[in-house]
Amino acid sequence: MTDWMRKVLESKRATRDRLRALPFAEKLKLLEKLRERSLWIAKSHLRTRKPPKV
Amino acid sequence: MKATLQVINQMQADGVIGKYAIGGAVGATYYLEPSATQDVDVFVALTSRPGVPLLSLAPIYEYLTARGHKIEREHLIIEGWPVQFLPPSGPLEEEALEQAVETEVEGTVTWVITAEHLAAMALKTGRAKDFARLLQFVEAGALDATSLNLILEKHRLHEKWQEFELKFLRRDQP
Repeated sequence: MTDWMRKVLESKRATRDRLRALPFAEKLKLLEKLRERSLWIAKSHLRTRKPPKV
Repeated sequence: MKATLQVINQMQADGVIGKYAIGGAVGATYYLEPSATQDVDVFVALTSRPGVPLLSLAPIYEYLTARGHKIEREHLIIEGWPVQFLPPSGPLEEEALEQAVETEVEGTVTWVITAEHLAAMALKTGRAKDFARLLQFVEAGALDATSLNLILEKHRLHEKWQEFELKFLRRDQP
């Protein structure tokens, strides 16, 4: 594993730890934001557009 | 979410439901980092009605729709969140509901299923997303081994745990 990749993984782990340590109410607010975003993405015309015929 | 919980608490205070506890991805969020979910799973003890021998979700639907909450497929939309009410489907879920932990969301009391019960329920259900959540619990060190072992033994899930361990946790495989 390269140093760069190791740093990326460490950073991801640190972010997960930080999020995990948040109070439940804060985590629920983040869940609401995540849900809003996923609904917005699902509604996007890019998502619902039919793929071109090959 | 706070408003959703307040509606459920009021329904409990009005005697429509008994004890309830949040499970699924929202319940797991109590112990882990938040991960996207579309709905809230609420395990609920149903209260019997005089003259009605069978326990049913109908009183919940009647109570909530009478107060303007809409039904969308298997969900009731409560203050913006689709909520699925689930009666315990067996002894594991009954125990999970009994032993749920009390917590607060901005001053609103609620209950969440323990990490070990959530893990056991994920193991029992056994879909890909359940195994993914189980892995999150293990990686986060969020499970108490003694407590989990007792639950696995009591509900005969040891074999399933060994399969999970072999498939996902063994470090010496290629």
